[in-house]
Amino acid sequence: MSANGFTAGETGELPAGASTGTAATDAPLLEVSDLRVEFRQGNQVVRAVDGLNYTVPRARTVGLIGESGCGKTVSSRAIMALLPHTAHVTGSIRFEGQELVGLSERRMRAVRGSQIAMVFQDPARSLNPTVRIGPQITEAIHLHNDVPKGEAFDRAVELMELVRLPAARERFRQYPHQLSGGMRQRVMIAIALAAQPKLLIADEATTALDVTTQAQIMELLRDLQQRLGMALIMISHDLGLAATFADEVLVMYAGRGVERAPTQKLFEHVRMPYTRALLDAIPRLENPPHAPLAAVPGQPPDLAREQVGCPFSPRCPNVTDHCREHMPPFKEQEPGHLWACWHPCGLEGRR
Amino acid sequence: MLRFLGRRLLVAIPVLWGVTFLTFVVINHLPGNAAQEQLGINATPQEVHQLSVQLGLDKPLLTRYVNWMGDLVTGSLGHSLTSGQSVTSILGSDLPITFELVAFSLIIALVFAVPIALMSARKPGGVFDRVAMVLSMAGLSIANYVLALILVYVFAVRLNWLPALGWAPPDKGFGTNIKYLIMPAVSVALSLLCFYARQLRADLIQQLRGEDYVTTARAKGAGSWRVLTRHAMRNSAFGLITAVALNFGTLLGVTVIIEEIFGLPGIGHELLSAINTRDVPVIQGAVFVFGLIVVLCNLIADLLYAALDPRVKYGSATN
Amino acid sequence: MAVPPTETAVPGAFDPAMVAPAPVVGGRLGRLRTIGGIWIPAFLVLAILFLCFLWPVIGPVPSPTGGSILNSNLPSFSPGHLFGTDSTGNDEWSRLLYGGRASLEVSLGVTAIGLLLGGLLGAYAGYVGGWREGVIMRVFDVLIAFPALVLAVAIAERLGPGLVHTIWALSFFSTPALARIARAATLRVREQNYIVAAGLSGTGRTRTLLRHIMPNILPELITFALLGIGIIIVLEGALSFLGLGIPPPAPSWGNMIASGQNILSAQPKFTMLPSAALFITVVSFNLLGESLRARWTAQ
Repeated sequence: MSANGFTAGETGELPAGASTGTAATDAPLLEVSDLRVEFRQGNQVVRAVDGLNYTVPRARTVGLIGESGCGKTVSSRAIMALLPHTAHVTGSIRFEGQELVGLSERRMRAVRGSQIAMVFQDPARSLNPTVRIGPQITEAIHLHNDVPKGEAFDRAVELMELVRLPAARERFRQYPHQLSGGMRQRVMIAIALAAQPKLLIADEATTALDVTTQAQIMELLRDLQQRLGMALIMISHDLGLAATFADEVLVMYAGRGVERAPTQKLFEHVRMPYTRALLDAIPRLENPPHAPLAAVPGQPPDLAREQVGCPFSPRCPNVTDHCREHMPPFKEQEPGHLWACWHPCGLEGRR
Repeated sequence: MLRFLGRRLLVAIPVLWGVTFLTFVVINHLPGNAAQEQLGINATPQEVHQLSVQLGLDKPLLTRYVNWMGDLVTGSLGHSLTSGQSVTSILGSDLPITFELVAFSLIIALVFAVPIALMSARKPGGVFDRVAMVLSMAGLSIANYVLALILVYVFAVRLNWLPALGWAPPDKGFGTNIKYLIMPAVSVALSLLCFYARQLRADLIQQLRGEDYVTTARAKGAGSWRVLTRHAMRNSAFGLITAVALNFGTLLGVTVIIEEIFGLPGIGHELLSAINTRDVPVIQGAVFVFGLIVVLCNLIADLLYAALDPRVKYGSATN
Repeated sequence: MAVPPTETAVPGAFDPAMVAPAPVVGGRLGRLRTIGGIWIPAFLVLAILFLCFLWPVIGPVPSPTGGSILNSNLPSFSPGHLFGTDSTGNDEWSRLLYGGRASLEVSLGVTAIGLLLGGLLGAYAGYVGGWREGVIMRVFDVLIAFPALVLAVAIAERLGPGLVHTIWALSFFSTPALARIARAATLRVREQNYIVAAGLSGTGRTRTLLRHIMPNILPELITFALLGIGIIIVLEGALSFLGLGIPPPAPSWGNMIASGQNILSAQPKFTMLPSAALFITVVSFNLLGESLRARWTAQ
């Protein structure tokens, strides 16, 4: 491919098989343990993330799924230490063995972009409208590599071609508003890849795009991930998207993980009533026309209040009094499949 | 971009016309007889009447306005009642001095305001920020003529470093020119500086807190200084331009009193002298020119805006 | 990002934002503490108002004019004269207080006219829209095109010196400025549901304007009016300084500063005292306006 380092195999291992569920045997790239993020405002404390645990193996895709406000975005920002001052982060986030929580800002800056990168939701607002596209990409390169301008330009063009941006050389000098939404998102991806990170976090990267573009971008991400041997955390509220593109899925609710399994296993044996509800809520073509959408009833819990018992109780079809008083533990109940529920689906009769 | 400018011009023209009308009405319609005032209390009614006819004061207001506008369009503002000189030439020789004062003040204000705002925005609530905010509030609250007198007292009277009054044009030596200008410029610049610094600081903080591109920049690994100067500043510059344009009228207006205190022969000083001698054509001309400059400057500010904002300049391209 | 100014030909020369947005002192999100909070400036303002308006009436304050020349130029801390006397024997402390009263009378008068005339007209313009709004705002645009001091000087020259004339002259400046604020606020409030509901239920326009819109824009108007008082006091000072405002022998801080100019080197106190009084007053009003604005924009 190119002489500048974007050949597959030079930036980490070649990917193992796709979504069959066999995890890479090396130590995980990212380990999140008991992550808690609190926002303090005056007397109010909002627990946005309340004990999150998961790992991301090398070169795999983990889908982080949940409703708005479940803490998925906050947790990912915590990984990059991009939260505002009012946030208090406790727990552990280990990247390649190095603890990120409490890391000094200077050392964190070395991690951002070059080790872990992020692509955000709204490409219209995520790019600086007063700076041309090219410099926004080369900036990402220059921040971590001492590279002469000419070489940076070449790399940037290469990146733009990598993300399948047409007419890369001309686009270099254009402004963000001159590009369409899909193209802007590709630029964001190019920026994220510029310093060859080992982990890419795509935070609702396709939510703001139309369906066709969404598919294109997701395909691009999958392709890139496999070619570059990069790990990918895919954050979304769209379970269907996770089904197609993730190796492993973690469902979040009220700031904590509630179900986790390799994708195929999850969809074959859904255990959490919440996940079940999410699945049922996806409109299907097979349903007759005008069939009512099975929306999940109720509202997510108020994260400012202390949680007693399972947070999904008010909305759960399987709920009992026991659920309301005791928080179910999030643990491995079947090989490779973790959940937190007293009355999981498909296992009625046990307990 | 042309469409944007065209629209702005269209709005500006009636305002310009209004400026001429208002100037004329204020100076000529309010109580007081120009001829009488010129000649003084001891003049006989015949003398007053004679001068009135000579000045055209016996004609109805509207006719006089039309006449004046007619002259105006050909570039003539009448002649001074005291010296007979054409008003345009009088004001023309005054303008460069006022312009130099205004420019110098703006430069001083901006040169200090930008770094202060950047350093404040870097750590809002930090030591530098708190001190800067307190001092800038004080600076805003000092009347510029008060500051002028204090400066004169300290630097001219007590320390004798600078001349208290007077003016020397730049071609007689740039150093001397600056010596006469620095105290007036600082008197004007201080409150401007404080205002710009606060305005820019607030804008920068807003960018840093609310805008997604800032998060993108940080996610790349950029430090706060870089984010401020290379990213936020570019966007906040527009707010600053607006602030400068907004205040330009005031900036121009304070030259009236500052030029008076420091004896600078600019338009402000001319206006006041004309007021003392009741020289109506000069008063009229000066007031009009002030209004004209403000409208023009705001148009220029809009031009600048359009030229700098990539979204206006390039428009959105289709694929 | 900032939006290019499109609405008016001449963005306001008096932008109450001239005192600039409230600083976020104390870097925590959501805690907008301004300098001195709201109570200290309020106390200062009240103290100043008390000193200038009430104290001369109820307390032992001699007349500011008509002093005996035998008493002239007494130094500070002389018995009965806290700050001494001036060259014609008038008590300086009294002149300060009465001068303050004059300056404040002008400022408050100008602000009141601005609020009444400008506020109502601006709200009306924002409410009815259409060509009426266009005409009204263009007229104000023209007024704003003139630098405040220039316009005030020209008008004051025509009218002659005096307190009332000064109020008129400066009102040409405050009215358009407050009209702008009122219009912008009205545009925002106009779309609120209860306004639309009132219109639908048949409430007349004047009634809607007065009973629904005005009370809602009043806090914003008052906040900006407070911020503007400082500017107007300084302008009045400038006018009096130039001899076009309040004429001697009646004291005003402006003409006191001016007359002190001649003896600046020998006796700086005659300029410095009214300057300090001016400064403290302006700072107090600014801080008060700023705290109110911080509180109001935080909502």
